[in-house]
Amino acid sequence: MHDQTPPEMADASRRRLLQAGAGAAALSLLPGVAIRSADAQGAFDWKRFKGQKIEVFLVKSPRGDLLTKYHKEFEDMTGIEVGSEMIPEQQQRQKAVIEFNSGNPSFDVIALSYHVQKRQFAKNNWLTDLRPYISDASMASPELDFADFAKGGLNYAVEPDGRVMSLPMNLDPWVVYYNKELFAAKGIAYPKTFAEMIDAAAKLNDPGKGVSGFVGRGLKNANVPVWTSFLLGYGGGFIDAKGKLTTDTPEAIEAAKMYQTLLGKYGPQGVAGYNWNESQTLFLQGKAAMWLDGIGFAQPLEDPTKSRIVGKVGYGVMPTGPKQQVSALFGDGEGIASNSKKKGPAWYYLQWASNKSNQTRMLQAAAGAPVRNSAYAAAQQSSDFKAPKEWVDCMLKSAAIAQPGLPVISPVTEFRDVFGVALTNMLNGADPAAELRKATADFQPVLDKSEKA
Amino acid sequence: MTTSAVTTALTVPRAAFLRRRRRSYRLLTVPALIVVAGVIVFPWLFTLYMSAFDWKIGEAARFVGLANYTGLATNQRFIEAIVHTFYFTLLAVVFPLLLGTAAALIFHREFRGRGFLRAIFTLPMMATPVAVALVWTMMFHPQQGVLNYLLSLVGLPPSLWVYSPTWVIPSLVIVEVWHWTPLVMLIVLGGLAALPTEPYESARLDGASEWQLLRYITLPLIMPFIVVAAVIRTIDAVKAFDTIYVISSGGPGTASETINLYLYLQAFAFYNIGNASAVVVVFFAIIVALALLLLHVRQRARWSA
Amino acid sequence: MTMSALARDGVRTAGTSARRPLRITLRRFARRVAFWFAVAVIVSPAILVFLWMLSLSLKNELANLTYPPVFIPDPPTFANYIQVFSQNAMGLYFRNSLVVSGCATLLALIVGIPAGYGIARLQASRTLVLILIARMTPALSFLIPLFTVFQFLGLNNTLTALVITHLVITVPIVVYVMAGYFETLPRELEEAALIDGGSIISTLRYVALPLARPGIVVATILAFIFSWNNFVFGAVLAGRATRTLPAAVYNVLTFEQLAWGPLAAAAIVVTLPVLLLTIFIQKEIVAGLTHGGVKGA
Repeated sequence: MHDQTPPEMADASRRRLLQAGAGAAALSLLPGVAIRSADAQGAFDWKRFKGQKIEVFLVKSPRGDLLTKYHKEFEDMTGIEVGSEMIPEQQQRQKAVIEFNSGNPSFDVIALSYHVQKRQFAKNNWLTDLRPYISDASMASPELDFADFAKGGLNYAVEPDGRVMSLPMNLDPWVVYYNKELFAAKGIAYPKTFAEMIDAAAKLNDPGKGVSGFVGRGLKNANVPVWTSFLLGYGGGFIDAKGKLTTDTPEAIEAAKMYQTLLGKYGPQGVAGYNWNESQTLFLQGKAAMWLDGIGFAQPLEDPTKSRIVGKVGYGVMPTGPKQQVSALFGDGEGIASNSKKKGPAWYYLQWASNKSNQTRMLQAAAGAPVRNSAYAAAQQSSDFKAPKEWVDCMLKSAAIAQPGLPVISPVTEFRDVFGVALTNMLNGADPAAELRKATADFQPVLDKSEKA
Repeated sequence: MTTSAVTTALTVPRAAFLRRRRRSYRLLTVPALIVVAGVIVFPWLFTLYMSAFDWKIGEAARFVGLANYTGLATNQRFIEAIVHTFYFTLLAVVFPLLLGTAAALIFHREFRGRGFLRAIFTLPMMATPVAVALVWTMMFHPQQGVLNYLLSLVGLPPSLWVYSPTWVIPSLVIVEVWHWTPLVMLIVLGGLAALPTEPYESARLDGASEWQLLRYITLPLIMPFIVVAAVIRTIDAVKAFDTIYVISSGGPGTASETINLYLYLQAFAFYNIGNASAVVVVFFAIIVALALLLLHVRQRARWSA
Repeated sequence: MTMSALARDGVRTAGTSARRPLRITLRRFARRVAFWFAVAVIVSPAILVFLWMLSLSLKNELANLTYPPVFIPDPPTFANYIQVFSQNAMGLYFRNSLVVSGCATLLALIVGIPAGYGIARLQASRTLVLILIARMTPALSFLIPLFTVFQFLGLNNTLTALVITHLVITVPIVVYVMAGYFETLPRELEEAALIDGGSIISTLRYVALPLARPGIVVATILAFIFSWNNFVFGAVLAGRATRTLPAAVYNVLTFEQLAWGPLAAAAIVVTLPVLLLTIFIQKEIVAGLTHGGVKGA
């Protein structure tokens, strides 16, 4: 079934996790993080917390659906009863904040989106530091092998000061979906650089036939990752070492101009209101040549009851920008509430949710991009595999060049809102430089205040 | 007995009787007032208190006095929100009033199938706003939506509807009009049903046309009802949330961001509770001012009716 | 034809030209056509949107996203409804909505009818405005303070908390409608009862209440429907087991795709109860409102 990692190797990999991430140097100096061997503490037992009940708070998504489907497997294996709730992303995030703030959240395990909530959760100490559990061999399942986790995921899970606040579940690098049929009809190859991408969009844009050269999110707040994808390629960043925003630098402005051109000139009518679902719908209908978004949205594209372009979808890695080739990265994980009274059973749930079987299932159902590398090999060998090979290749290549697509700050939502509005205004003809400067000036005080507190 | 003594004998117990009665009536209102106080007054006090602080969930609260309010006064986005709110409210009140009154006049006449058709006409008002707003979102889709298809059938070019900064508020108003015209109709219909018939008969005998009857008799008599509908519509339109949130969430950009949407953003997206509380106070002041203005108009209409 | 009948038609009674009957008939015909046209224009938007909702819910995704749009599903499919029911505990949400709105309406009637009566007889328009303030306050401003209180009382995620919150909606409606209604009731019967030695309470109970039945029906229905349709409170304050229908509908928005079919199906499921209620009770609503229910309000 699944490989059993021998205890010594598990120890070594755990140690590697604890050293991973930006806080590596600091971490090794921290006292109290000791790796005890399995024999000294007693063997790991899945049924240790039998009879207890935990509450799990998930986001409504294919990954949430998948976990919920297999909850019975966890319950049978551990004897722990699982009560779970799954609601749409926005609501889940709001409820999480409200509940955490009250000091007494009703859940033990919570799914979080790193790109939005990581800093906020860490700053407020809403999650439990998992290091004691990781270093306790009697609580660590033999399968817990951190060498198997992708670097991007581990980066997300570990705080700069070395705390491990969650286990990563899946990564979502951004890729360019493209319509092979439309490209072939005009004899154009998949673009390798930004300039080629703009050129391809111009050539493929055909308003007479109702085809757009490019589609992406134009809706404020949701559209920021599109711009940051370009920003990273131009070599730009979000915040400099002094804590000052770098969102009005020449790189940022160039990226914004590219956004304005691709969406404003070669995008569909009304793109200013498009979120991922409208973009996906247009692409599914074969009415867009390229679509820039997260790799996790691929599932319906190959579903004949939903898509008109089954078999014609190309999965392209983000083209190279003038400075570098970067795929904007976003990710999700799960953590334990710091006020939870059931941390033991919750920790077992985290380990189960991120185990090889579940990660492989995620890949097989094309429900998301797992964070464990072994899942890819395992899935491709099985006959259940639904995702095309090209998708997996694209995923692996993108993960290798991935960088966080949003600044790791507390007021991420406000960042997305302020800059999102600026971007949408650009789609309606506003000057990119002026809008970015204004947005930067508006947001800097918010950032300063949040970092001070 | 003298008249004054008789009067005194009658008035003194009567005054006490009236006083006792008034007290009983007052007692009847107490339970409702307790409920209102419990569920509304506490949040209100909390809001007023918080509006003097600068507090974001997850950060420490700082007392800032009136700084939130002065901040709002100079906040361009907030001022734009006020403008959007007034624009939206104006359209969302005037059109339902016009269409609702017209509908009431139509449904006042006897015709075959009136009850059934009236029931159908009333349906939009009762439908769950969230559910219907989701359907309207689909109808507004520029490429796949049925509304643009209907436009193309009559030879008009497709519109961006809620995806255009210029047309988003009128498009949202269309949904509001669809949703609330039945309420106006029902209120005005009530007025029409209570109309006396004498003025009509004498006017007709004098040879007045239908139009003159409408203009000089009907409209003035139902004006109080129209004003009641206007008050209710104004209060609801200013507070409109579900529809706008679901369909455009204040976009594109901030083109349809009303005060209520801005409040939601501050309170539940940015967790900026201090600022959000100040917005609530200002918002409420605006609503009360509008309501008082309209009630004043209603009082005048009542006396002149 | 009598003089008054002719007068009703707005036609002058003088003149006996033979051509007049034809002109009268034509004019009447034209007016009738215009009238029915107006009726059609007024009523069609209402019904067409619901029909479109129904159509969307009975088609699969591919058919839903074609353009030009397909109106008649071919073939019609119930898959969307099955998906909605299997992925969401619709029965539970329905029950929750029923309990919350039912209790909130019942409590509102218990405190609201006497309050409306008192306000009407006292002609205390200022108290009325006070209650209207509840209606005028944006719902969002209640949420965080109420959440904190419920959390403190241990009532979080319970139906009790939702019922209390919904009182904000139902009580003002009941008080407003009943006050308006009682104001139009003639006082003579009550005066007689009082002079006969009755108390205010008994007067209310035996004299005013039976007469106010249409108004009570209107108040009940309006309060119930507005409470049922409420989205914001259920979305923020409810937990997994206590969620109400409108909040659940919003959850049908799946992560992977804006699924038009299931969304329309969910929308129909949520609105159908109140729509049916409206159709069956609309006579009462109209009767209640047209008997001067809001005249004095």
